[in-house]
Amino acid sequence: MKYENTYSKLADFGRELLNKKSLVEGLPLISKYAKDVVGAQRCSIFIYDLQHKELWTTIADGVEKIIVPSEEGLVGHTLKIRKPIIENNPYANSHFLKSIDKETGYKTQNIATSPIFNSQREIIGVLELLNKESEFNNEDVKFMIFFAHYISGFLELTNLYLLEDMKEKKNEKI
Amino acid sequence: MKKFKQIAQFGQKLMTLSDMDHALDLISEEAKTLLDADRCSIFIVDLEDKILWTKLSDGVGRIVVSLSTGIVGHTYQSQRPQIVNTPYSDDRFLQAIDKKSGYETKNIITVPIFDSKRDVIGIIELLNKVKSDFDESDLSALTFFANYVSGSLELILMNEN
Repeated sequence: MKYENTYSKLADFGRELLNKKSLVEGLPLISKYAKDVVGAQRCSIFIYDLQHKELWTTIADGVEKIIVPSEEGLVGHTLKIRKPIIENNPYANSHFLKSIDKETGYKTQNIATSPIFNSQREIIGVLELLNKESEFNNEDVKFMIFFAHYISGFLELTNLYLLEDMKEKKNEKI
Repeated sequence: MKKFKQIAQFGQKLMTLSDMDHALDLISEEAKTLLDADRCSIFIVDLEDKILWTKLSDGVGRIVVSLSTGIVGHTYQSQRPQIVNTPYSDDRFLQAIDKKSGYETKNIITVPIFDSKRDVIGIIELLNKVKSDFDESDLSALTFFANYVSGSLELILMNEN
């Protein structure tokens, strides 16, 4: 019953999140919350850009976008199968990209992912948690699915903001 | 842009409400404003009693229907939104409710509300768009809106049980 308290307090997080007006402000908050609740060392939110078919994320509090391959790795695989993944032994999983660990010097011990859907049932992102002290279990993923759905409205709305903003700027130029 | 800001503000307000009744009121009001409709009912799915129910609202009183009755029942069964601009020529439409309330339904739009497990937990129904019939742009706005409120609604339902 680890998550029982979480659900009763989740609205507090929701309130804080909805004060953020952009993805760049909201993503660190989402990451930190998911990490703390599940007890994982790291959390990344990958945003899937439907227009450019690109998957991107930011590093920690950084503002800069990092584009990642959308067909590779366990995140790419999540995008493909449209389902969450638990992998407690990533080095034995052929989808896992060992090269990233090599590059960063960070050793991934376990991974859990969940797709984030918009109202049209398109994937707009992937929530990824790394290195839980014990192993990821079904209860963790159940929470992640719930949480991904809970934040999807915020993500979709800020996306719409962005598109609208781009349109308005374009019109100004004309 | 104005519309998006309005939804964001609504979202903040919704988060401050933890009880079902107030949340449903707020969602109804916002949905009506968003689509410029006269009335809104939010039906909640009760699988135990196999019914769809609304709280008291908008002079209609509390409505309880079976999971397969009327346009909302059809929305539940098919899990698909419905637009009905000529309800009186639609067999599924429950004329009895109009008769009882004295309200004349001119057009209807419904969309299912899904939870994170992709089960339908409710249905938003809007009646009588003020200026015209309901169309595709209403449908996409309401579909977005249903998803936007679904996380909060799922949470509230979960905490109430």
